[in-house]
Amino acid sequence: MSAFTLEDLFTIMRECAGEEESVDLADTAALQEFAELGYDSLALMEALSRVERAYDVELPEETLGEALTPAAFVDAVNAALAARTPAVEAAG
Amino acid sequence: MTPAGTRTGQPLPVALLLPGQGAQHVRMAAGLYGHEPAFSAAMDEFFDAAGAEGDALRRDWLAERPRTDMDHVTRSQPLLFAVGHALGRTALDRGLRPTALLGHSIGEMAAATLAGVFRLPDATGLVLDRVRRLAGAPPGGMLAVAASTAEVAPYLRGQVVVGAVNTPRQTVLAGPDEPLEAAGRALREAGFVCRRVPSLSPFHSPVLEPACRGAAERFAAVERHLPSVPVHSAYTAAPLTRSDIDDPGFWAGQPVAPVLFWPALEALLAGGDHLLVDVGPGQGLSAVARRHPAVRRGTSAVVSLLPPRPGAPEADRAGLDAALRRLEAAGHPVVRGPGRTGAPEHSVA
Repeated sequence: MSAFTLEDLFTIMRECAGEEESVDLADTAALQEFAELGYDSLALMEALSRVERAYDVELPEETLGEALTPAAFVDAVNAALAARTPAVEAAG
Repeated sequence: MTPAGTRTGQPLPVALLLPGQGAQHVRMAAGLYGHEPAFSAAMDEFFDAAGAEGDALRRDWLAERPRTDMDHVTRSQPLLFAVGHALGRTALDRGLRPTALLGHSIGEMAAATLAGVFRLPDATGLVLDRVRRLAGAPPGGMLAVAASTAEVAPYLRGQVVVGAVNTPRQTVLAGPDEPLEAAGRALREAGFVCRRVPSLSPFHSPVLEPACRGAAERFAAVERHLPSVPVHSAYTAAPLTRSDIDDPGFWAGQPVAPVLFWPALEALLAGGDHLLVDVGPGQGLSAVARRHPAVRRGTSAVVSLLPPRPGAPEADRAGLDAALRRLEAAGHPVVRGPGRTGAPEHSVA
């Protein structure tokens, strides 16, 4: 399952950056390191925090240190979403 | 990727970026020591100039577990100054001819020294004098906030001030621990993301003002020259002028004044596109520079001399080699080597 997509992440990253001009984050950006794309660790923390709020999911802190690329970040979010699902079902 | 700076056929002019507090880490750039001749010579000159403190500084710089915390002002400040200056010298030695220098915080002292405003032995003495003053100042810290200066303004209380403007969405607060933590809590409650900067001192806040009194006399006592290359000041967001250089108070007050790095970078790039070369550990300034519209458009570009995070000594050397290849691809003649002073020849490619 893939509830969280690269496009979702790029949208959030653009919001964090407060970008006036639309920055073209192409598919090739998925495998580039965040730093290469112009996202420092603070911007990344903000993206993480926004994802947590928007998707009601808790991401392990290691995500920031380990997910160095958008592709890895998306995987980490989806892993967290998948892990959460049974609990939600049980609660419902 | 398109090699940076080759679109118009003319290589972009090079600007060196020299970082300040927050960029330091254990053994930063140490993988180049003993391998890159210009770097090693510049570091040794610094340690010699540091006199009695030189040996302890070198030992802690090279140690996996320094006796004094690398985030402490007595380590971070002199070593960031020395490493920034030595990496700048390395860039020159490898053939780069920068047309501008821009330093962040203590990086501005390194930039000024690189440009010949100060002689290295004098600058070393001034940096160590600054450190002794700051080591005795009230403790505090710095907090990076993912917000604009306007957004953080309502949260500034008492001695908590804006210490640095790094990007339009990254403002660093500085102040004594307790009110700084209170400001951080309020900001987080309002939904802002905050992170402590590795610093045990409230740099660029009025808390340090009393400790810096008297430093101007030290600056007044040393020779100062016009820079050989324009030094863009992050305190004025403009190139250093003769009156800045002549004013001892301008230099002495730097630990108290806010760092306007983003406005200074904007002013630099408003004057024309550049190839921005980050000559410091950690690529923090590279990340900031990549936020700039000229870099995002691809008309200006960023190259970092060192890896993005601490690693093995070989990683420092591989990072430098990769950076030099990128600079060469961007049309800048690069001197091959290390080994021009007798060490075994390595291939750059």
